[in-house]
Amino acid sequence: MIFATEYIKVAAYLGAGICVGVGSITTGIGSGVISAKAVTGLMEQPKANEQVFRTMLIGQAAAQTAGIFALVISMLLIYGVSFDTVGGWYKAAAYLSAGLAMGLGSIGPSLGAGYTGGQACQSVARMPKQGNAIMGNMLIGQALAQTSAIFALVVSFLLMYSVPNQPTEASMGRILFKAVAFIAAGLTIGIGTLGPGNGIGYVAGKSTEMMGKFPNEKSKIMRTMFLGAAVSESTAIYSLVVCFLLIFAIK
Amino acid sequence: MEFSMAQGIVKAASLLSAGVCMGMGALGPALGEGFTAAKAVEGISRSPESASIITRTMLVGQAVSESTGIYSLVIALLLIFAVKI
Repeated sequence: MIFATEYIKVAAYLGAGICVGVGSITTGIGSGVISAKAVTGLMEQPKANEQVFRTMLIGQAAAQTAGIFALVISMLLIYGVSFDTVGGWYKAAAYLSAGLAMGLGSIGPSLGAGYTGGQACQSVARMPKQGNAIMGNMLIGQALAQTSAIFALVVSFLLMYSVPNQPTEASMGRILFKAVAFIAAGLTIGIGTLGPGNGIGYVAGKSTEMMGKFPNEKSKIMRTMFLGAAVSESTAIYSLVVCFLLIFAIK
Repeated sequence: MEFSMAQGIVKAASLLSAGVCMGMGALGPALGEGFTAAKAVEGISRSPESASIITRTMLVGQAVSESTGIYSLVIALLLIFAVKI
């Protein structure tokens, strides 16, 4: 079959579109949840205006991280990768998969970080005196929720830059399963980060809420949050391992 | 060793299902564990004196919830390495 450079371009541009399109859905929802909770909080407690506004902005910035990762990946897919014909179907599949990985991979973390930020805004509005402790806990929780987005980013980079060129003597069967393996790697980390991102976001949201209600139990709350988040993260790490195997260990 | 088209399709299907298996298999356990941990945080802050019992129960519950994640990992590894054509 004659392989044209356009095939690689089609895959890369499709990947770029899916990446930033899917990635911006939940980033928008996450930031929206934060501002909605901030507004309802201010309705109850208009005096906490300054602290709530600050928490809202910082929380939204943190919840946008995965969206920015998706933007970077789609920019790189459009301008930063080689469309040389020697890449063959391997590169085409890998570019499409890089977009899928980061696009789907930003869903869970953004929703999780959005829930955390929303609970923090509500909590700060109720207890403006605990504003700094709550915001610190919110940022740690959002960072934990975003770790799985960083896994997706790593896999996207690997798919864009460490996938080998298609060997000239490869048979159709080999080309098919290698290409499918790269697409499966993107799907694995994309779907696999959905649960951890959401789960950790829920833990972090509850702990920011409780830190506002029971400020004396700060250390116990934070310890339990870390423990729970670490256990919840484990499945994201399994997905990452399976991804590496699919990219590098398939002969 | 080179592959025929049919062998390639078999291998491709097993690899794709390995990816989907681990991806979807990671969804449920992580959500469940996150929910457990969130409720544990709530419980500990309401009654800090029973922190140790709550933490123990949380970890046991999470370990049970984790088991399906590990099943998915095992199946994904089998699909990647044990499927012979």
